[in-house]
Amino acid sequence: MGKAIVITSGKGGVGKTTTSANIGTALALMGKRVCLMDLDIGLRNLDVVLGLDNRIIYDIVDVAEGRAKLPQALVKDKRFDDKLYLLPAAQNTDKTALMPEQVKEIVDELKPEYDYVLIDCPAGIEQGFINAVSGADAAIVVTTPEISAVRDADRVVGLLEQHPLTEAPRLLINRIRRNMMQDGSMMDIDEITHHLGIELLGIIFDDDAVITTSNQGEPVVMQTDNPAGQGYRNVARRLEGETVPLMKIEEQEDTGFWHRVSSWFHRG
Amino acid sequence: MQAAVLRGTQNGYDLVLKQSASLDQILVDLKALLENLKVDPQALAASKISLDVLTEDRILTAEEKSRIEQMVAQYPRFEIHKIAANVMTIADAIQLRERENVHLLSKVIRNGQEVVMKGDVLFLGTIHEGGKLRTTGNIFSMGDVAGILQAGYPDDESKLIMGNLQTAQQVRIAEQFDIIEPETVTDSQQTVAYVNDLHVLSYGKLAQLKKINPKLYNQIGGI
Repeated sequence: MGKAIVITSGKGGVGKTTTSANIGTALALMGKRVCLMDLDIGLRNLDVVLGLDNRIIYDIVDVAEGRAKLPQALVKDKRFDDKLYLLPAAQNTDKTALMPEQVKEIVDELKPEYDYVLIDCPAGIEQGFINAVSGADAAIVVTTPEISAVRDADRVVGLLEQHPLTEAPRLLINRIRRNMMQDGSMMDIDEITHHLGIELLGIIFDDDAVITTSNQGEPVVMQTDNPAGQGYRNVARRLEGETVPLMKIEEQEDTGFWHRVSSWFHRG
Repeated sequence: MQAAVLRGTQNGYDLVLKQSASLDQILVDLKALLENLKVDPQALAASKISLDVLTEDRILTAEEKSRIEQMVAQYPRFEIHKIAANVMTIADAIQLRERENVHLLSKVIRNGQEVVMKGDVLFLGTIHEGGKLRTTGNIFSMGDVAGILQAGYPDDESKLIMGNLQTAQQVRIAEQFDIIEPETVTDSQQTVAYVNDLHVLSYGKLAQLKKINPKLYNQIGGI
């Protein structure tokens, strides 16, 4: 029996979809069977980030309303043989097209087949949020080190506490700029975690490659040397129960040959 | 034995309705009593007589009360000041306890959440920005408050808010509110927010409590 995890944030644009795609891909790379569910109905883009947008035949609303069977609607990601699937959102209807019970039914049908069901929640705390949370066992609250995102995360954690899931929500801090955090102009990780009062699942550094890779439909975790990808891989390992230390904020000193050569000139 | 007895006290007249008698019996006796007094020449001397109706350990329903009131209303010399019993319903008692007790509250009130309480609250938790704690009584805060505190809801301006209020967003007492500016409120656990005689929310120190609210000061044992 797999676990259903909703990825939510309250605020839009903090990287829920990117996080869903990357954690899902990272888990698939670890050999887990993963199904990604896009619940951002009307504005779907998890499929685009994964590069699967051209293969959608049916969507979640078709399944909920009985126009298609669940296996028909699932889109398989061929890069990971049988590991990664996507249940796409509908585009031509709105969030009220689904009811929480329908979502729960679909999630319950998926859970025995997969190790993880990751639910990509839409922004906001209305019907779409309620739908996304209804079937989940656990939640990942995504925020960025900005006051508005942290406030919204606080609101969402409050809502999740009022209707508790099986597991307590965990925090993922996205888009961390090392230099800004180092010089203190960005909210500190400890500060955010302490304020929200929930367990920290991971931190992801801001990286240009996140944008370029998602434009190419290939999640950043697939790049082995990318710090953002590394962050997502660490998150996936922590979800699997491993103990992985947080990545260091301090940028590592460049000790390459040319750096040493140039440092000679700086010395004087 | 008479089911309705008139008793003179220092403060006036008590009309005692015996708890052992039925209401019908009481009404019969009450009528006889009032008829007697109507013709009693001695009683004529006094002007209008105000009665405190005591029902002993019996709680009258609204309908029963109105039957007694109607009966007394037939005699213009008498009027009912109040109807009182020695007992109260459990629901009323619970409400009273709610109102009189200091409630401990130790939780995190997050952005968008509102916790509504009755009576005085000793707050030991955390209020995040955008969270709100509201009560009918006083608030004694020992927690971290970055949200809104409201005491004396909805209209009791005699209530106070004590504790460190510097980091709060707003303080409200009854209908008065103040947006906290760091300059106006010091970083101190000793701050008292209250509504002054001009109905303006202002701040003082715990040491001035006697002056700010003598009633509460006496109640908590100050001399």
